[in-house]
Amino acid sequence: MLDTLSRDFLQGKEEVLRLSAIALLTGGHILIEDIPGLGKTTIALALAGITGLSFGRVQCTSDLLPSDITGLSMFSREEGRFTFLPGPIFNNIVLLDEINRAMPRTQSAMLEAMEERRVTVEGTTHPLPDPFMVFATQNPSDQSGTFPLPESQLDRFLLCTGVGYPPEQLEKGIISGGGIRERIGSITPVATAGDILAARRAVAEAVYLSDAVVGYIYALVAATRNHERIQTGLSTRAAINLAQAARAAAFLEGRDFVAPEDVKGVAVAVCAHRLILRPEHESAHPGELLRAIIAEIPLPLA
Amino acid sequence: MNLRLSKIIAALSYCVALCGIVPLFPWLTTAPRLAIAAGMIAGIWQERRGAWPLKNWWLNAAVVPVFLFYAAQFSRANPAQPVVSVLAVMLAVRLGGEKSGRHYLQILALSLFCLAASSLFDLSPAFLVYLALLLLLVAVSLVLLTFHAQDSRMTLARPDLRKVLAAGLLMPLASLPLLLFFFPLLPRTQLPLWNILPPTAHATGFSDRIEPGRAQNVAESRLTVFRAEMPRLPQRQLYWRGTVFNRIVGNRWIRDVAMPAERIGYSGPRIVQNIYPEPGRSRALFALDAPAAITLPQVKRFPDGTFEQQGAAGKRLGYAAESVIAGILPVAAAPERAFYLRLPDGIPPRILTLAEEIRRRGDSDVGRLELLEVHFRNGNYRYTMQGLPVGVHALEQFLFEKKQGHCEFFASAFALLLRGAGVPARLVGGYLGGEYNELGGYYLISEDMAHVWVEAYIADRGWVRVDPSSLAQNAGAVWGGPKKRGLLDKFRLTLDSFNHSWNRTVITYDFERQVEAARGAGKRLQGLDARKVLKASLPAVLLLAGVSGAILLALRRKSLLPSREERLLRSFYRRLERDCGIGVERGSQGLFELATASGNGRVREFVEIYAGAVYRDRRVTPGEYGQLKRMLREGFRNG
Repeated sequence: MLDTLSRDFLQGKEEVLRLSAIALLTGGHILIEDIPGLGKTTIALALAGITGLSFGRVQCTSDLLPSDITGLSMFSREEGRFTFLPGPIFNNIVLLDEINRAMPRTQSAMLEAMEERRVTVEGTTHPLPDPFMVFATQNPSDQSGTFPLPESQLDRFLLCTGVGYPPEQLEKGIISGGGIRERIGSITPVATAGDILAARRAVAEAVYLSDAVVGYIYALVAATRNHERIQTGLSTRAAINLAQAARAAAFLEGRDFVAPEDVKGVAVAVCAHRLILRPEHESAHPGELLRAIIAEIPLPLA
Repeated sequence: MNLRLSKIIAALSYCVALCGIVPLFPWLTTAPRLAIAAGMIAGIWQERRGAWPLKNWWLNAAVVPVFLFYAAQFSRANPAQPVVSVLAVMLAVRLGGEKSGRHYLQILALSLFCLAASSLFDLSPAFLVYLALLLLLVAVSLVLLTFHAQDSRMTLARPDLRKVLAAGLLMPLASLPLLLFFFPLLPRTQLPLWNILPPTAHATGFSDRIEPGRAQNVAESRLTVFRAEMPRLPQRQLYWRGTVFNRIVGNRWIRDVAMPAERIGYSGPRIVQNIYPEPGRSRALFALDAPAAITLPQVKRFPDGTFEQQGAAGKRLGYAAESVIAGILPVAAAPERAFYLRLPDGIPPRILTLAEEIRRRGDSDVGRLELLEVHFRNGNYRYTMQGLPVGVHALEQFLFEKKQGHCEFFASAFALLLRGAGVPARLVGGYLGGEYNELGGYYLISEDMAHVWVEAYIADRGWVRVDPSSLAQNAGAVWGGPKKRGLLDKFRLTLDSFNHSWNRTVITYDFERQVEAARGAGKRLQGLDARKVLKASLPAVLLLAGVSGAILLALRRKSLLPSREERLLRSFYRRLERDCGIGVERGSQGLFELATASGNGRVREFVEIYAGAVYRDRRVTPGEYGQLKRMLREGFRNG
């Protein structure tokens, strides 16, 4: 499925696709952070298309209200009572485009829905569909008119990654061929919601996480907690998410056990956005810092 | 797992308090005992609940009247008990109340005082055990308390705790050399300062008179009398001579110090014993029958071959004795027969008749002695401690009717008859037998081994030892072969040898003797042949080297003996660098990364098998091991 996507539609986006699949397989949410126009939305659309899952999109603006996402009750004149009109969040894959443009009130409503996987509107609780995955995009926050997500909200995202520019050859090809938005509509699904749920179960139950790898994860988390340039290290939730993501990565590699490389491969995406650096080192990039930390921890090899 | 520091300190302080109070406990009166028990229980109970309903200021206020009460009791005649009681009550109060760092320190100090106070009453080797334990615990507690002072809610991970414990244990160990330095220098006491005499026993044992017929039954006491360091001897030769009774007054045999002078000519090989009596009331110095010399500064020798200690009795001491164990004391000139033939008035006629008959039938002293022995041997006399004849006519009853009694009956009846028959005779009091302690190389003599036998004077030979008790019909059963020792007995003997060496080396420590021993050892060392020593010590040295080598191996097993997986990994790295030309950063590159980097199918196959085992938390199976080894042998060149 991933191969099909990256070969036919999304050239040069293997890493982002892999991470999105990991998020899908662990039931987590992904935050994509990059400047506009690099294909963030396209990736989300393509993922929804190839899995045959329903897709909803919310374009965030500063006047977006929570009910614009969750839906609202309308008075139906024919039936003589209020009926609930579900909002765009009632889809398997929800793209929250430019989430940092929304007001904090709306942001927190969305993030609550992400965490609880249900929405309460006017006293009635409506469960969200399963699988449910939020695909949030964010422009780097130094642009004007944005409300950056607070750290506690960032912690709710399993993964956070950039997209990056495609390699030179590919980009030239894209320039000449034009965008692929139109072709994405014609993707034939290769998986169903049931397949995704089964794969999720397999990731959680059938992939073995050895004590050695658990020790490695712990060493990594402990190293961030004791690092001189980091104010707040990784939480236990971060460690749990790291293990989950590593399981999914191993599953994608076709293995039924987790190798330390799986942890290494997802560590930056899972952890970097959760680190809070000391004020005097704020200019440093957390991803780089994390890579340096990872390089110092010996892998369990025997 | 993390442990709360305050919990550890609390547990430690209860242990410290126990170490301090247990040795003192037997010497406390009931009230402080109850207070201590209550304080301990209250403290532990509140600790478990985590709430402290007992307020410290109540407790502190409660101590004041207690202190006043004991202060009123303090007097010159009774200085120790009130002080000790106040100490115990204060410790109880500290244990029962809520504790801050200061209170913990007070508990440590009070416990040390309590232990020190216990040495006023008793100087047992258990003190050393308690002291060592207390010092170790106090050192660890002090280290932990410094942490506690920084942050009272601190928790410690196990490895950290281990480090702290090691530091705490090292401190007392580091002070051991100082102990060796101070031991010979500091003054010491040979007696507990306060409790001077051990409780007196009312049971069998050595006494200063022989009076058969006092009681119907006699209980046996296992109190230790003395220990004698010496080589092993046959059990029948172990007659320990203490004193001689030479005069009969009514029913009693007593010792008349105004005895006629004699000169004993000791001949024969001498056996040297080092004897360590337990402090007691008796002044008699015991040694194997018959001691020729006893080395002690103040000793009085009597003409009848006994020794007495001069000066203060009840001191713990040790002396060397030389004995000739022939059983005969040759005398240079015949003793004054009349002194050893004196009989009191009022001897029952039946006894006199029997004595007269023996005198008539025997033609000499030797003959008469033999006749009497035959009379006892054929008289069906039984040796027993129960159902003894009592009263004024006890001896007569023993001889003619009951015919059972213990050594006092046998010996005094025998000596009486001898004197009646005209043979000079006297009683010798002491001990018979002894329990040999192989570990310490000494005989342990207890009160139940007290014994009395007879010495008869035979012209030309001297004083001949006769043990009438051995003529009893059941003598074989009573004095028979060595008793089987149970596990408990062995344990008791081991403990006793520890006790003995404590008394020898610490309580009755004698600097001069120690120096002498060191000099003797030095002299012997000079006389040694180096080659012989080398030969003798070779097995020991080899064994030591072997053991330390094994320990070293066991400790460094990880680096010296890598596991199968580590060996595989090393040769995998070597193969990879040689065959695929990639530099491997060991420890920082994952196996799958390497496989991808090499782009080699065989490397990937190897990695999958290997990682499949390692990251599933299992060892590489022998089958897999063979396969991996084969792949490494074949190399990755054509993969």
